Amino acid sequence: MNPSKVTKSSDATAEADDRAVDTMVRRARAGIRRAMKVLRRPEARVGIIASPIGRLMVAEGPRGIAAIHFLWTGAADEALARLRRRFDLLDNETWRENFNRELDRYFRGDIAVLDRPVDLSLVESEFKRRALMRLREVPSGSVTTYQALAADCGAPDAQRAIGTTMATNPIPLFVPCHRVIRSDGTIGNYGGGVKNKLILLRNEGFEVGSSLKLPASAVMGHRRTLIYCRPDCGAARRSNPARALIFADARHARAAGLRACKLCKPG
Amino acid sequence: MAAPEKLDLPPPFEDAMRSLEREIMRFILRLTRDREDSLDLFQETWLRAYRAYPSLRSKSGLRPWVFSIAGNLCRNRARDRRRRERVIANDGRDPEFEAARFLHADHGSHDGVISLRRALAALPGKQGRALIMRKFGGMEYAEIAVALECSPESARASVYQALKKLKASQ
Repeated sequence: MNPSKVTKSSDATAEADDRAVDTMVRRARAGIRRAMKVLRRPEARVGIIASPIGRLMVAEGPRGIAAIHFLWTGAADEALARLRRRFDLLDNETWRENFNRELDRYFRGDIAVLDRPVDLSLVESEFKRRALMRLREVPSGSVTTYQALAADCGAPDAQRAIGTTMATNPIPLFVPCHRVIRSDGTIGNYGGGVKNKLILLRNEGFEVGSSLKLPASAVMGHRRTLIYCRPDCGAARRSNPARALIFADARHARAAGLRACKLCKPG
Repeated sequence: MAAPEKLDLPPPFEDAMRSLEREIMRFILRLTRDREDSLDLFQETWLRAYRAYPSLRSKSGLRPWVFSIAGNLCRNRARDRRRRERVIANDGRDPEFEAARFLHADHGSHDGVISLRRALAALPGKQGRALIMRKFGGMEYAEIAVALECSPESARASVYQALKKLKASQ
């Protein structure tokens, strides 16, 4: 047999095989696409961003920011695995650059950047979700305490559970767990490091010194009466702690829509 | 400030599928020798791969991982079919006729091709799959090892044994 004929015939068979495979792949794709409509996870963009509080892994899904992870704390693989179980992740450079610019604006003083929507679907417990949503209502320039937040969630004795919730907050910064301090006025711990908590609080107007205590200029505000007082005012002590906030100073309290107490005249 | 780095994420699932779908279809066709079965198994492979995609750690493991899913599904299908045929045989049907129908169901009627398919079909499961991955899929022994859940040495030995048996059968 002529060897060139054999080569030609085997090439033709290979081509026919390729065509048959392509046809089958096309047929199968349609079925896969139909089935995937049911199975599909939502898409989320993810990236590593350098910021004044260290390198962060950030993910944003269709409903809002879904995760922020301080990379220096380790366990990035676990955080990524958790995200991948919930979302189809895309490392999108344009989105990463835009997000980086937004974060820069925050660190230059534009606190409104943190009002971006969040997606708490990675939080499994209902109590934790409620606590984190309540925390979102604490305005910039103010802080609350673990105890007050627990009371706000309807469980006044659950300050330790609130501590755990803050420690496992999947979206620090945007769910501002840096705005939760101890009842004695010291700033307490932070999942991203106390140093970073100081940076964030100072960025929002709190002149916290090396004693890690709130400044003397801080005033107590009340979200129901919309009145702010000196910390030693009797009216402030009698108010419901669940609705109380601590503002960096009178200016921040006024900016949040509160008026000065007529008894203690905080300025 | 340090420059942001990139995450070691596997490619988006659609891209992964596009890059491997023809190879996987060929692999399944060679293992099953049946078009309808292949279509079914191909879809099942990719749907399973999508469900388990979050467990895939890095892009480098993608290829052997999908091949191992496809290989396992084909093996399960063949086992189920053997069981069914045994039941049919017990019902009084001719198992040899069923086996012949199974072997000749695929396209092409060239004698050489058929005899090669028969020889491949006669190989033990692991050896057959290793040979197909190596010779038709062009995979490295390390990749085959991941797909077959064995050591690279064992994968190499399976390919060697399969080739030896094929040569002996000619």
